[in-house]
Amino acid sequence: MRDFSVTLVELYGSRNVLQQLIAQQLILRYRRTVLGYLWTLINPLLMMSVMAVVFSTLFKADLKTFAVFLFAGMIPWNFFSSVVTQSGAAFINNEGLIKKIYLPKAIFPLSIACALLIDSLLSFIALFVIILALGGTLSWSLLFLPISFLLLFLFAMGFGLLMSIATVFFRDLQYVIAIAMQGLFFLTPVLYKHDALMGKVAWLVGLNPVTPFIALFRVPLIEATLPSGQVLLQVTTISVVTMAVGLFVFLRNEKKIVFRL
Amino acid sequence: MSSIHVEDLSIKFRIYHDRSPSLKSYFSNFFKRNGPPSFSDFWAVKGISFDIKAGERVGIVGHNGAGKSTLLKALCRVYESVEGNISVTGRIAPLLEIGAGFHPEFTGRENIYLNGAILGYSKQQLNNIEPEVIAFAELEEFIDTPVKYYSTGMYMRLAFSLATAMHPDILVLDEIFAGGDAAFMAKAKARMYALIDKANIMIMVSHDHLLVKSLCNRVLWLDHGKLVADGLPDEVLDRYLANRK
Repeated sequence: MRDFSVTLVELYGSRNVLQQLIAQQLILRYRRTVLGYLWTLINPLLMMSVMAVVFSTLFKADLKTFAVFLFAGMIPWNFFSSVVTQSGAAFINNEGLIKKIYLPKAIFPLSIACALLIDSLLSFIALFVIILALGGTLSWSLLFLPISFLLLFLFAMGFGLLMSIATVFFRDLQYVIAIAMQGLFFLTPVLYKHDALMGKVAWLVGLNPVTPFIALFRVPLIEATLPSGQVLLQVTTISVVTMAVGLFVFLRNEKKIVFRL
Repeated sequence: MSSIHVEDLSIKFRIYHDRSPSLKSYFSNFFKRNGPPSFSDFWAVKGISFDIKAGERVGIVGHNGAGKSTLLKALCRVYESVEGNISVTGRIAPLLEIGAGFHPEFTGRENIYLNGAILGYSKQQLNNIEPEVIAFAELEEFIDTPVKYYSTGMYMRLAFSLATAMHPDILVLDEIFAGGDAAFMAKAKARMYALIDKANIMIMVSHDHLLVKSLCNRVLWLDHGKLVADGLPDEVLDRYLANRK
């Protein structure tokens, strides 16, 4: 507990660095491209549009409804999967810095998660535009979405902390996790509805901790109601536990990292 | 008043004999723990204790690999998981390697803000020192060019100007740099001496004995991670130089 409060104080003291690291990630990606930062918006939208066209044809679904359905699931999934994958390289990519100067170590995975959160929020704004363009209506239940984002952030960040540490000790994890994420994607109801499944697969999807987080976004967006109390309880428990485990492992190992880089 | 207290400090590194063990040996070692270990421990610093009070100018000497830089890094908290105690009072400025954290794709100006944040300057401070840093580095023309297009000299000048722009309580130096043309070197030296003058405590590692003699009022001699001598520059340096021959 003491370690945790020390980390928080140090992170606050280094907020200037955090801000710079986030800006670095957001700005650098599309530097010297004609569209620049707009790519952050266009890229996920184009990706999702391609998927919407392909899968609505495959599933013989109505493109408009399917597009909104897919986007509402893709945005939380992309955020989670990017945080987990990119956190794996958080310390390895900053080896030069870590070996030369003291910074609170949590700043590296945190800056990744924050930058991705900003991307994700921007994609969401684009999603709103699409929903309106497709003739959808916006309801009060959308006001629940900040809470969805908060819970998802806690969950992904907890996982990210764990990954950032684990990869330093076991480098192969970077490649393992990319494949694992691909597999997990198919076990997450992004392309399909959870209740459309039956038998063993449905049970497996139900066990996937990411599943209720998708509902957290999809229910307010598509059904225009609040997520059920059961989902909310499930999601809160998963987020808090993941974050607690992530923090525990992180605080126990953060001082060993520099010797293993 | 700044002070540094180091008690029985030891820093251990692990040396891996086989840099990338094969999957087979990885798993076989994993299951039989009592096989020959794939790594051995190396003590870069072993059982060092000293106190530094305000006003002291400490030089650290020793042959290559004696643990000098490791000791400095431990003082700057780069190495934290160590045995023994270190307590530091006062704002410590690590000038271990200037230009750490420069991003090649960023312009000089952006790097002032990025690197400045890493060095612990606040945004307000950076706004204030920005014109002075650029002027001192003589980079007015190129400050909005990405630093990957800079020459080595330009890069060093910017990094040096930024790192020395603020006056810390405790100044930690690893081999005072020398770069740029003669005119800049003279200017840089003056700035460095001003920085040392204003610092409450200065600790430097150097192989230049004349420099240590002229700047320090105390010298620590490290050998294979152990503290051999600690005292006045003339005495310790004479013994060190005699020993080296």
